[in-house]
Amino acid sequence: MLVGAFACAHTPQLLIRPPTEDRDLVLRVHAAFARVKQRIEALAPDVIAIVAGDHVEAFFLDGVPALAVYAGAECAGTFGSYRYRFPIHEPLARAVVEQGIARGFDLLYTQSAALDYAFYVPLHFTMPEPSVPILPLHVNVYLPPQPLPGRCHAWGTALGEILRARPERVVLMASGGLSHFPGTDRYASPDFDYDRRVLARLEAGRGGELAAVTGEDLDRAGNIELRTWITLLGAVGAVPAQVYCYEPSWHHGNAVVEWPL
Amino acid sequence: MSDEPHYTFPPAAAYRLNRCLHMIKSDSAFCVRFLADPAGAMDELGLGAEEQAALVPIDRDALVGRGAHPYLVFMADLRLRMAREPGTLEHF
Repeated sequence: MLVGAFACAHTPQLLIRPPTEDRDLVLRVHAAFARVKQRIEALAPDVIAIVAGDHVEAFFLDGVPALAVYAGAECAGTFGSYRYRFPIHEPLARAVVEQGIARGFDLLYTQSAALDYAFYVPLHFTMPEPSVPILPLHVNVYLPPQPLPGRCHAWGTALGEILRARPERVVLMASGGLSHFPGTDRYASPDFDYDRRVLARLEAGRGGELAAVTGEDLDRAGNIELRTWITLLGAVGAVPAQVYCYEPSWHHGNAVVEWPL
Repeated sequence: MSDEPHYTFPPAAAYRLNRCLHMIKSDSAFCVRFLADPAGAMDELGLGAEEQAALVPIDRDALVGRGAHPYLVFMADLRLRMAREPGTLEHF
């Protein structure tokens, strides 16, 4: 069953802060993460299913899946001095792969791929105590051509149906966004107005409208990672969101959101 | 402001260049070799003189112009700065 839904920023400067970052802003995002952790502990999940976009870490140009499921016994990765490892909820992973493919989604699955920091950063701050296994779900956001937003939403809808029919208590989390343009000449000019319009739609329970945006819209707004949120929205439906924080830095719109189910 | 997408299909001709950026970003042993001996590390990957000239200073415009993925340029640069200036970073 699906017991909770959250979306979290994962910018690495929240984990490793260089002097260029406003420390108070970083701490305010951490405070929102702490609220998420507290909520997850109250929801007492058996597993956290986390939708994130691999940052060309596990999936380089040797193989670029649109959608992938981590289906091994565990997964691990590194970022700077951080070394992390998580058990995977293998029965749920296998069910998602098998039922996802049965529903027409040609999923790649992996039992060995590295786990990107996009998965790790939110889990570093929000993993409940005691910890629970995870189910990492990858959506390609950085290597064009990416899956269409509408396809991500459809996958999320199927995923939600699969999760609701399962006996485990599942918290679904999307990791990513909001507006940022890493590596481009717009790095210092995110589209914060676009972010605010997205958040207003989510608060109104109109997140499903995001299924209709185009990949070009997302690229223009620095929101290619919104595909992970759109995937979650397919699972969540028209539930109004509660915005825990929106903290625009000089290069990134940091948002933390819950959909109370 | 250009109407071109910020992130585009990575051209096959830039595969080795993107490979090098990916290894700086994701392969800590290679990153150490690159820091100690950039030319030697880049020779391992068969990169030409112009690619090497753009990689050593992480010249974003030159690298992206040659087909490098902007995110890989960004994160390779960040990882090199993290390795060179670890004392300036606050870990949470």
